[in-house]
Order: sequence, then structure tokens, then C-alpha cells
Amino acid sequence: MILSAIAMIIAIISGLLGLVRQYQMLQQNSYFASRYFGWLKGNLSAFVLVLRGFAMALAILAASFGENILKESLTLFAAVALYFGWKSASLNASSIKKLVWTARIKRMFAFSLVLLLLLGVLGLVVGGTIGSVLLTVLILLTIFPETLCVLSLTALKPVEKSYASYYISDAKKILSSSRDIKVIGITGSFGKTSTKYILSRILSEKYNVLHTPESFNTPMGVVRTIRESLRADTEIFVCEMGAKNVGDIKEICDIVHPDHALITSVGAQHLETFKTVENVFKTKFELYDAVKAKDGLVFANGDNKIISDNADKTVILYSTDNKTKYYAENINASRHGATFDIVLDKTKISVTTKLLGRHNVLNIVGAAALAFNLGVEPDDIAFAISRLNPTEHRLEMKGSVKGSLLIDDAYNANPEGCLEAVNVLNSFSGMKKVIITPGLVELGEKEFECNKDLGRAAALVCDKIIFVGKKRSEPLVQGAQETNFSPDDMYIASSFMEAMEIYSTFADENTVVLLENDLPDNYLK
Amino acid sequence: MKTTVAFIFGCRSVEHEVSIISAVQAMRSINREKYDIVPVYVTKNGEMYWSEKMFEIEPFRDMKTLLADAEPVTLLKSGKDVVLKFLNNKMFAKKKDIVINVAFPVVHGTNCEDGTLQGYLEFLGLPYVGCDVLSSSVGMDKAVFKYVMKAAELPVLDCICFYAREYAKKSDEIIEKAEKEIGYPMIVKPVNLGSSVGISKASNKAALLDAIDLAVSFSDKVLIEHAVSAIREINCSVVGDADACEASVCEEPFMNDEILSYEDKYMSNSKSSGSKGMASLSRKIPADISEEKSEEIRNLAKAVFKALGAAGVVRIDFIIDTDTDKVYVNEINTIPGSLSFYLWEATNLPYSELLDRLISLAFRRSRNRDNLTFTIDTNILSGVSFGSKGAKGSKL
Repeated sequence: MILSAIAMIIAIISGLLGLVRQYQMLQQNSYFASRYFGWLKGNLSAFVLVLRGFAMALAILAASFGENILKESLTLFAAVALYFGWKSASLNASSIKKLVWTARIKRMFAFSLVLLLLLGVLGLVVGGTIGSVLLTVLILLTIFPETLCVLSLTALKPVEKSYASYYISDAKKILSSSRDIKVIGITGSFGKTSTKYILSRILSEKYNVLHTPESFNTPMGVVRTIRESLRADTEIFVCEMGAKNVGDIKEICDIVHPDHALITSVGAQHLETFKTVENVFKTKFELYDAVKAKDGLVFANGDNKIISDNADKTVILYSTDNKTKYYAENINASRHGATFDIVLDKTKISVTTKLLGRHNVLNIVGAAALAFNLGVEPDDIAFAISRLNPTEHRLEMKGSVKGSLLIDDAYNANPEGCLEAVNVLNSFSGMKKVIITPGLVELGEKEFECNKDLGRAAALVCDKIIFVGKKRSEPLVQGAQETNFSPDDMYIASSFMEAMEIYSTFADENTVVLLENDLPDNYLK
Repeated sequence: MKTTVAFIFGCRSVEHEVSIISAVQAMRSINREKYDIVPVYVTKNGEMYWSEKMFEIEPFRDMKTLLADAEPVTLLKSGKDVVLKFLNNKMFAKKKDIVINVAFPVVHGTNCEDGTLQGYLEFLGLPYVGCDVLSSSVGMDKAVFKYVMKAAELPVLDCICFYAREYAKKSDEIIEKAEKEIGYPMIVKPVNLGSSVGISKASNKAALLDAIDLAVSFSDKVLIEHAVSAIREINCSVVGDADACEASVCEEPFMNDEILSYEDKYMSNSKSSGSKGMASLSRKIPADISEEKSEEIRNLAKAVFKALGAAGVVRIDFIIDTDTDKVYVNEINTIPGSLSFYLWEATNLPYSELLDRLISLAFRRSRNRDNLTFTIDTNILSGVSFGSKGAKGSKL
């Protein structure tokens, strides 16, 4: 009896330790059982499963036939359980993104603790067949905390649902008691987060603005933002809306009832759940339906073909060509940044920004168009745009050797992005253009072709080229040679340090260098 | 949801009572549909109190009873909010902290209007109404204010300025300098007091000595300027911030004495109509001056406001030398008595709308500051180590 009790206590402790790791992964999979299973599939080895199964079998034997028969098996079981429990918990402790002890996790943990204690005490006290069954369940749950994790998730679903609906109605109440607040919904397959920041910055010239932080774009993320950060003096709430399934946007709209909308793009994202691009379009335009019900304004990206082909006339399009009412023209770049004119219906403003790239021009035009319609003065719009800051290592402008200009695009590792960066370099008219790049990596069989494309594009734009790595740069060189690029202007460096040494021999104040796909910090020092 | 506004008033200042009057006026005029009002009364000792009774003047007449009833409080940062914390929490009548959205200082004089209160609020990170630290403190020091005006090429009367200890050591020298450079009649002022306290006029040496004696009893730093003999005083209020501001109509306060004394400013009429602060001072609004002069003064007022980097509502006092018709900037009140609401009502801006505007200006400044980058996300400390080991690698 005493040995059994000790074994049970150890099992419960081990089970709870193991549970910490499981909850961590469940939390990082947004409490979706299906996504959590996906993680499990990739992370459980057969050997570990067999070992744990064996320990469980021993323990069940002991529970069924009495401890006197199999003392050793109980001890062994306890040891195995404790080992795995300890190992799991330490995995959580050593990871970068640890388990966050939210109210929900605490509830689930408390539920599990009570359940295990109940099973243990009842199992030992009742005894007999029923006792053995109870103990068997306890053993199963502790040696496989995965089952305990799913059990507690499922059992508490109704409770969580009522919590969620309380939070949602509380958020709705807060919004409806803020009399004059305007809600702006932003969605899109890409560009919505940058546009949210740009729009909020421009609107803050005139209004007290709250926006959903970082990636809080789910219904509960939006609800949390409203409950924690909305204040009486908030005049505009910019709400990013994310979607992975049809109906997701509508769900958020039913909470916040947006007054105006900005749809940045419709593309082939999350097709594993959306199935078709039509569904993506339909979902993004759930925002349109909600806004039109309130007679609000809907702005959408007119450069996006799916949108311009399918949106009706009441959608106000913005673009980088003059077919729409709001557009950017005369796009150029100098060492002060990108310069362009924004045509806002009949008003025109000239702007300069440190955000480079056509996608940013487009995001800025969309944000400016909406802000203009909300009464922000054109001069203030231009000022706010001049204050925007790029994300680090994303087409970020910096000073470099001999007074030259560096465009740090070190974090860019996707093929389209790299070609766009070369286009950005091309827009620095009148300056000597240089690229330093080792090319792209980890693209599998497409890699050679992509690097060839990059080499070719660079050769068409640049005055000088420095590739990094002899072996790495072969496809780049091939691509460049197809354009009859002068071999005298092409250099191969063995390291970035060397590339910078070569660069500094011809750099001057009128030179702009694009650093594509690697960290510059090491040699900038 | 309403915006919670903390009115801070009173303070360790000679204009303590005036501040109470100005604050009560404002709290009674603000739109209560839009704002929740939290009175924060600062005693002459600098303690902060809160009470529901502080919306009226009456309870302040019996300070002892009022304070016995009131709750001692403080403002502090709690998480991302600034809260009013109740210090004497009884176990069974626990008062919940009040989250403050914006502070509204209605204080006059040293130890509060001069940037000290503003610095406190700035440090807490709480948006607040009115001038910031620098403009408040420059506005309070009449000498430094003159220097800034001179640098901005705005017209001020010349002055000499000295410290009390300097005067104690070499009074003869200073008197001589004043007689030579300024000449009688002179006005002697402590540099850092508002509301005319400690200011007097001197037409001869004996009077000058008395005037300086009076002034040094109020401030360590004293200023002497020439008294314009044929003088009209014209005041004008400005609302806005460095980006956009506008000027009110001008007023001309009437003087019983040769210069506007404390009694004139706040105590005349007080028996007949109760304390109404600046609003009740006998004055002419709009001032009886030509359209051109009025426009000149209003433009000057805006230029002063901008040169100082002021914000919110201020009142700028001008002197016209009627012999030459020349206008001089005399001084600025960064938190004017009664918040100059009577000038704005005469300019067709009702008091409650003026208060609305001041609060949105406070939020605007706070937004603009948030939009600047204050912290840079690189951890310089990670590369630093002190002590003998690895000292080479620790250079910054």
C-alpha cells in the first residue's frame, strides 16, 4: 500500500511535469487540438513510445495483481515516468518561447491536478477491480501526459467558451460606450501589418489612435486589445484582421463593427485551409460587407489583379498607376529615401520616406488615402510619412564607407523579395549602383535557377557587382554573363570583409550599395 | 467611457488661493458628459489630497474640516497607467486606485507653475495640459524670459539683473549701475513670481532701496527695468502649440495703483461678488486700442508663444509706451489666472470648449512625443564588463 501510494505520488508529479511541456506546445498551437497533434506527429519517436508503453504495462500489472507480486516493476515505472516528466519540463524551461501561465493554462492545470489526485486516492481506497481500473487510467494519463493535455483541453472547452463569450461581450460594451470612436478594419493576404503601422502613424497627426499590437489579429487578440488598451480618449481604433478560414473576418467584424476598411491584397496564402483563391477573396471581402452595412469607405489595392477584377464600383481603389482615384507617381529614390507624389483625388502631395520598395509605396498610398478621407491635412500626412521607420535589415538605408549609401536588406531571403530589392536599387537614378550578395540559400532544386535570375537582374542594374563565395556565386556569375556584363566590373570575394575592402576602393559619395541576404554587422564594425 | 482628468491645484506658492479659485472655476465649467473629474489639491506643505467636496469654493474656506475629511493621495506609475493612489486605505473601506488619463495643472507661481509640476508629470509619463518643463521654467524667470525674447528679436525693455547675495556684498555698485543704465523711475521685480507679488516702483534712491529690499525677500534673483511713465498695459491670450496657435482679443486691465498690484489682480470686487479671480478684475474687453495696434499685439503674442515653445493657454502681458506708441513684451503667464477664459469667451470660444481644446492639445503633445524614438533597442550593456579581467573588450 505504502509503496503504491509513493509510486502514485511520483507518477502524479511526473505527469504534471510532463504536462508543462505539452501545454507549452498546445499554447503555441493556439489551443487547436489538430495543430497540436501535427506537432506531436513530428516529435514523438517510436523508441520513446515503446519505452513508456512498457513502463505503463508494468505499472498496470502491479495495479491489477497487487504490489507484492511486482515491486520492481512499480519502482521501474516510477523511475521512467519521473525521467520523462523531468525531461519534458526542462525542455520547456530551456526553450526561447516558454509556457505562459495564463488564466486558461492555470485552470487546465488545476483541473488535471484534481483529476489525478482523485483517481489516485479513489483507486487506492476503493481497491478491487474498480480501483485497478482507476489506477490504470491514472498511470496512462501520467506516463502519457499528451492524453492528459487533450483531456483537460476538451473537458474545459465549455468553460473556456463561456469565458470567451464574456470577454467578447465586455469588449463590445466598451466599444459601444465609446461614443465617437471610429473603427478601421485592415485585412489582406500580405502587407496588412505594415499598412496598419503606417496608417496609425499618419492618423496620429490628428487623432488619438489605438491599433492592435504586432500579430494580435484573431478575435480574441482584438478583444484583448480593446479590453486592455482602449481608453476614453481613443478616437480611432485600427484593427488588423487575420483569416485562415472562410468566416474568420466576419467573426471579428461582428465584434468591432468597422466603420471603414482597407484591403491590402488578396493572394494565395493559407490555401491549405482556404482551398481556393476565390475563398480568400470572399473572406477578405467579409470586411467590405460589414463596412458597407454602415455606409463606410472601403479602400483596396488596385494593383492587385484579383481585387481590381472582382471588386465592385463602391470600392475605392489605390495603386501605383494613374488609373485609380488615389495613386502614386514619379516614384524615385535618392540618398534621402524614396520620393514620390501621392495623388489624393484632386489633391497632390510630394513625399519622402525611408521606406523603400514598391510594396511600401503602395501601402503608404492606401494609408494616406484613408487618412485623407478622415480629415488629416495633406501637409500632416506628408510629415508623418517622412517620419516612418523601416524594419531593421529590411531595405534599411544606412551610411557606409567614404560617404556612400548602404541599403541593408540582409534579412531578405526570398526570390521575389530579392528581385524587388534590385528594382529598388535601380530607382536610385543618377547614382553609381553596386550589389554585394552571396545569393540565396536553402531553396532546394529551385536554388540554382533563382540565383541565376538574381545574377542577371543585378547585372542589368548595377555598375559594379561583388559576389561573395567562389562556389556559391557560380549561378550568379552565369546569370550575369548572359547580359554581357563587363567581367572587369565583377568581383568575387571570399568573405564579406573582403567584399567591403573591394567596395571601399571605388565607393564615393555618389555610390549606393545593396547588401542582399546577409548580416552586415560583422564587417561594418 | 469618459476621459479621466486630474485637476492639480493649490501647491506651495504665494498664489495658492488664486489657484484654488481658478481650478474650481475650471472644474465647474468642464463638460462632465465627456470627462470624469478628479480633484487633486496640493496643500501649502506639498501634500496631495482628494475629496468629493473639492468641486466648490465653499469647503475651502474651512480648510481644517476639509482636510480632516479628505483622503491623502499620490500619483504613481502602475503598469502602463498612471494612477491616483489612496494612501490611508482603511481595511473595510478600501478605495480603488483611479486611473488618470490626463493631468490638468491649474497652479500659479513658483514650485508648481515653473516647470516643477510639469517635470513630475513628464517623469510619470502622464499627458498634461499646458506648457512643458522648459517653456514653463523660462516663462517663470522674468530675466531669462527677457533674454530669450531678445534672442528672438522681440521687443522687451532693457534690464539689469542681480542676485541677493551679490547685492548684499556690493549694493552701492549695483545701485550706481541701475541709476546709470536704467534711470529713474524704475521697477524692481523678483524674477520668479507671478501675480505682481513683490513688485514695486521707485522714483528715487530711497524708494529703490526699499523696493530692492522687498524684492529680495521673495526671490534670490532680482531684476530692475525702466518704468515707462506714460504706460498702458494690454494683455492677450494665446491657445495652441508650436505648430498652430491663435490669439484672443486684447484686454486692458485698470490700475488703482501705478502698477497692477496683487490686490488689484485678485482682491478688488471680492467683497461684493465673492472671489471670482482674474475674471472679476475691473478691465476693458476688448481693449480700447486701434485695430492695427490690436493686430500688432496679437501677432506679437503668437510670436512670443512660438519663441518660447509654449503650449496650452497662456496670457502675455504687454506695455505700450504711449509717448512713443511702442509695444513691449512685459511677461508671460504660462498658467494664467482663471485660464484667461474671459478673454476666450469674448473671442467666441465658450469656456467648456476651451477646456476641451486644452485637453486635446495635451494628448496631441503626448502622441507627438510617443512618435519620436526615445529608446534604441541595442543592448550596449551586454558588451560591457568592469574590473581587471577582459578590460580590453569593455571599451564603449
